[in-house]
Amino acid sequence: MLTKKDLILIKKISFVDFKLRFNSSVLGFVWSLLNPLLMLMVLFVVFSLLLKSPVENYSLFVLLGIISWNFFSVCTMNGMVSILNKASLINKVYFKKEILVIASCLTAFYSFLLNLVVFFIIMLISGVSFHYTNLYYLIPLFSLFILTLGISFCLSAFYTKFRDLNEIWTVLLQAGFFLAPIIYPISMIPENYFKFYFLNPFSRILTESRDFLITQSAPSIRFVAITVAMSIIIFLFGYIIFRIREPKMVEEL
Amino acid sequence: MIKVDNVTKKFRIPHEKRNTVFESLINIFKPVNYEIFNAINDISFEVVAGECIGVIGKNGSGKSTLLKLLAGIIRPNSGNIEINGDIVPFLELGLGFSGELTGRDNIYLNGMLLGLTKKEIDKKFQEIVDFSELGNFIDTKLKKYSSGMHLRLAFSIAIHAKGDVYLVDEVIAVGDNEFKEKCFDVFMNFKKQGKTIIFVSHSLDTIEEICEKTILLERGKIRYFGKSKPVIGKYLQS
Repeated sequence: MLTKKDLILIKKISFVDFKLRFNSSVLGFVWSLLNPLLMLMVLFVVFSLLLKSPVENYSLFVLLGIISWNFFSVCTMNGMVSILNKASLINKVYFKKEILVIASCLTAFYSFLLNLVVFFIIMLISGVSFHYTNLYYLIPLFSLFILTLGISFCLSAFYTKFRDLNEIWTVLLQAGFFLAPIIYPISMIPENYFKFYFLNPFSRILTESRDFLITQSAPSIRFVAITVAMSIIIFLFGYIIFRIREPKMVEEL
Repeated sequence: MIKVDNVTKKFRIPHEKRNTVFESLINIFKPVNYEIFNAINDISFEVVAGECIGVIGKNGSGKSTLLKLLAGIIRPNSGNIEINGDIVPFLELGLGFSGELTGRDNIYLNGMLLGLTKKEIDKKFQEIVDFSELGNFIDTKLKKYSSGMHLRLAFSIAIHAKGDVYLVDEVIAVGDNEFKEKCFDVFMNFKKQGKTIIFVSHSLDTIEEICEKTILLERGKIRYFGKSKPVIGKYLQS
């Protein structure tokens, strides 16, 4: 288990990494806010002006999908290399290696939160009214974080041994981008494929997020509960693999 | 108190390096040939609290491996290591230092890696800065520091980490004479406070001066363990 000191270290490392990420660019963290805004402009042009939108508020719809997916892919990529990147530390001082993975996921999470702030502002501007059901968004947000952390644990556990894992994961992420309903609504899929579609926890989380935030049509409790359960199971699975591989990692660096 | 009981550490050194998924799949039915290297071979010793023990030996005799085992960075294949008290690893100075951060930020990051809490660092902050003689440069980015400033800052943080057992690997060998003197004083001070020090070095003079007892390692085994002077004498003869 993590002690209080471990938590302090996680906080410190994740803040420092977050700070360092934007330190070298002149605009500082403004970039991380500008990023989703620019994306929204592109989406707006493509989906509202050029193509016919299949759903109301389509650009908001896609924006939420893209920032969630961005978090997932950036976090898993960073989490995977977090152990190897800090090899000089692990080789010289003992601390729980989980700290590095969790800290790198938190760093990605901070950016994601900033993106979400931008998303909410745009949501306000585009006239989607806030509703108390918006608060339920915390559930898919939790699922998303736990799921991503679990996958990061699993990837980082193997990356010390398999150095081409990042190439493989990049390809898988690319496939995942189109397999999950990120730039298209789930309603475009024939209904008898839903079963397979919702085997992917990310698709479930995204569907819930949109329901809670944009369309305000609550998904069933059962659907949400299964998603949370799936995320927790994946998290535990990833963490256990990480713990099993942990003693060998230092020697593979 | 440190108790090391029949500790063995083996490293597997594969003949070919296979560290991608691709290579592993191609060679899936081909066994990996490797040699086993006994870095530490069945050693046992005990250190009483407040003692300062030197560790000497030729390159590759297992000195650094021994320190890493004591620090808990790597685990022994067999045997048991028992350490009472908090460990401060001096295996490298300036852990986690980042050039893009100011000296101040680096003190906090490095201090926390050495097991200090934020409050403790707040309290010791002025002391750390004073000892490092950095003065106003503490809010300058680390990349602007000279290597001497870098070193002084790193050392200053390390000695302010609190612990009972200090594992020191060759860190005194760096820096100018004045700095060496300062380090020397610090370690003498630790001794006075009753801290345990394990000191790995090639500098036999320093060992003789600081440590009462010395371990001579040879190919992963303890050749001699006893009063520093005779052990160092035996090392020089061989």
